[in-house]
Amino acid sequence: MDKKNIALNYFLALLVILSLNFILPRLMPGDPLQAIYGDEAVIAMTPELQADIIRRFSLDQSPGEQFLAYGLALARGDLGHSYYYNSPVMEIILGRLPWTLLLVGLAVIISTLAGLVLGIESGYRRGGAADHLLLAGMMMLSGFPDFFAGIMLLLLFGVTLGLAPLAGGMTPYAAGNGMEKLLDIVGHLALPLASLTLVRLGGAYLLARNTMVISLGEPFIKTARAKGCTEAAVRYRHAGRNSLLPVATAAGLQLPHLISGALFVEIVFSYPGMGTLLYHSLITRDYPLLQGILLLTTITVLAVSLSVDIFYRKIDPRVSYAR
Amino acid sequence: MSLLKRITVFLLALALLAQAGCGDRKDGQKAAPDKQPGGAGIIYTVADTTGDWGFPSPYAHYSRGPGYIRMSLLFDTLVWKDDKGYVPALAKGWEYNKDENSYLFSLQENATWHDGRKFTAGDVVFTVNYTREHPYQWADTGMVKKAEALGDHVVKLYLDRPYASFLEYVGGTLPILPEHIWKDVKSPQQFQQREALIGTGPFTLADYNKEQGTYMYKAFSGYYQGRPKVEELRFVKMGGEVMAAALRQKQVGAVQAPPELVRELEKEGFKVLVGRHDWVAKLMINHQKDPFNRKEFRQALAHSIDRRALVETCLRGHGLAGNPGFLPPDSPWYNPAQENRYPHSPEKAVELLKGLGYEKKGDYFEKGGRVLELELLISGRGIGVQGSPGEREGEMIKGQLEKVGIKVNLRALEAKTLDSRVGEWKFDLALSGHGGMGGDPEMLNRNILGKGFNSARYQGNEGLNTALKQQQAAMDKDRRLELVKKIQEIYAEEIPALPLYYPTWYWAHDGRVNLFYTFQGVASGVPIPLNKMSFVK
Repeated sequence: MDKKNIALNYFLALLVILSLNFILPRLMPGDPLQAIYGDEAVIAMTPELQADIIRRFSLDQSPGEQFLAYGLALARGDLGHSYYYNSPVMEIILGRLPWTLLLVGLAVIISTLAGLVLGIESGYRRGGAADHLLLAGMMMLSGFPDFFAGIMLLLLFGVTLGLAPLAGGMTPYAAGNGMEKLLDIVGHLALPLASLTLVRLGGAYLLARNTMVISLGEPFIKTARAKGCTEAAVRYRHAGRNSLLPVATAAGLQLPHLISGALFVEIVFSYPGMGTLLYHSLITRDYPLLQGILLLTTITVLAVSLSVDIFYRKIDPRVSYAR
Repeated sequence: MSLLKRITVFLLALALLAQAGCGDRKDGQKAAPDKQPGGAGIIYTVADTTGDWGFPSPYAHYSRGPGYIRMSLLFDTLVWKDDKGYVPALAKGWEYNKDENSYLFSLQENATWHDGRKFTAGDVVFTVNYTREHPYQWADTGMVKKAEALGDHVVKLYLDRPYASFLEYVGGTLPILPEHIWKDVKSPQQFQQREALIGTGPFTLADYNKEQGTYMYKAFSGYYQGRPKVEELRFVKMGGEVMAAALRQKQVGAVQAPPELVRELEKEGFKVLVGRHDWVAKLMINHQKDPFNRKEFRQALAHSIDRRALVETCLRGHGLAGNPGFLPPDSPWYNPAQENRYPHSPEKAVELLKGLGYEKKGDYFEKGGRVLELELLISGRGIGVQGSPGEREGEMIKGQLEKVGIKVNLRALEAKTLDSRVGEWKFDLALSGHGGMGGDPEMLNRNILGKGFNSARYQGNEGLNTALKQQQAAMDKDRRLELVKKIQEIYAEEIPALPLYYPTWYWAHDGRVNLFYTFQGVASGVPIPLNKMSFVK
């Protein structure tokens, strides 16, 4: 497929998904007025206030008019104004996104790299004591829900031992700048990152190990050994490289979860991020914010799909020759 | 690239990301000072599970009680409340003139805005007129016919009808805005600059961080009721599981405590506040359709459900059984005569159902060959409030109704979907709930006649409708109490929705500040023991 066609395909996919992003939130039962104001018993909901809110939320416009306004605003780079948070959607998302990228991004990178290395080593030692131990340990860890791992770590290191902070992405109103602040952020990151990494490690490990076991039986390994390659070269350059393809695919598939994947860990550690934002936008039927987050997810999915396509050619040159 | 270079690049990227996350602040929100203030002033920290309740200007904070609390630290109202009743705030005195149907407020002469300008009667007149033009979600000023300044420090508000809740809902809830700042503001919700936080309240805002969900307030030295004893007040975000640990580690001074930990914390020397029963879990009944439109059927439901067992089992005893007259027993407006109106009695329920023509065949009642079968909507994970009814309560009620002979199909829905179905009358029975029970009796009108999905929306009894309207206009407190008791009596007879229980909420604190629950809740009924006057005197 030529580059023009690929670009056209991605553009069409974006258009379809943008329309779905607009339609789906509005198909949910309930409306923003009820979801935001209905629960609060002490609000003085007069007909005048209701009319004012409906006008401000543009709920008095037809769906067609709302869609047109959404499209025109998007073309200007404006994601709209959040109903619940009473702020521009872009500002809200940009405030949370760095924290999510930091937490989930690092968790995906560390769990993928560590899983890959452990999988290669484990596969290489297939049947040995180290392999058995690693396999059993990883199977157990990957069965844990991330919030469970989070609560356990928090209770042990935060509550009982008092070694880790109890909540948040940084110590509120603490003194210190520069390196101290950085260390504070790293300190707050440690437990949530450990929880996410631990439970995600198993996936990459099992994929890498299985591919490694298959690769080790292939004739090219025998050839490599016959050439006099060192064991390390056989393990990583020849057999290990073949494990990269499925692991990279799995890591790529995890990236769209960057946006919402850490919801429970965010809740357990009161860590700022996109997961809780998405959850709140859903329960408050905050259409503009939902659209903004879905748009971000859409773009991430398409970008990841494109990058994985390109990355494949680098790590496995056979893909380039495939027709 | 060498390993050292790679590590340096990684750390730099980390620092940039962290900076981006911390750097998003609006005008008027500056970074927290690096050093804590010295002196004798108290630095007090309150933990909160949600954290972010919005930019604390009157129009911009989120539409929830904790958002109002954060705003109330910056803006004063004409009157305020302590744990017993109304106390002076920006008005040092007030009187009601029955003939004119007006309130005359004598204002504080030494009150100033945070920017140093004098507070005057003109600001009050401006606020009333401004909120009529730009509807304010916490106070309806629509009944004020005219606001008139009689000199710099006297203001008279004429009402278009007698309105018994005026002091509660307007005088004690409406934050007074500075005219010199707000006069040109056309979109109050989007006015989120530094000036939007200038009020006459005891604190000024030093920092607000939306992402971290933290607030820092500083004492306003020019406060007309004296410099607050708390020099710095902070709100930080924290999960419910670690709040007790944070209190023990002295990271925070006050937390909402899980019921299970209350005794333990009390033994350790922390002060525990037992909340008034402001929140009600109730069984919504679709009284618009058969057989729920018959009051005898609704009464049979009330006899079938063991409300005390719900409290003992589902709340582990941390709550009060529902009063058929609607109001909780610790409300000053409570009518105790209705308390034992519907004791748990399957026999009485059977009798009432037989009276309606139902016949028991096998396990269930039948009428005209059709089994008496209904659907009970529940929210899978509860409504999110501590003690809100969910699956466990649903299962228990199903068991109790089936024991009587009413077949029940449970259906779990997402909370907002359930609200929407109740709002559109697409249900038989539903478990729901709301707050405001400890507030002014106006809440009876909102929750019986009001149009919201939390309201019973019941107009089937003329006597009830009349009494509800009359109590709104009863300016004499005794007369109003009499009417409210009558309302509870009729409500208990009609049972348009059945109050199941009122969960008990607790707060624990270190005792450095005298926290208390406000009479009828902060302002128009916020049931949180964070009255700003706790931090002042």
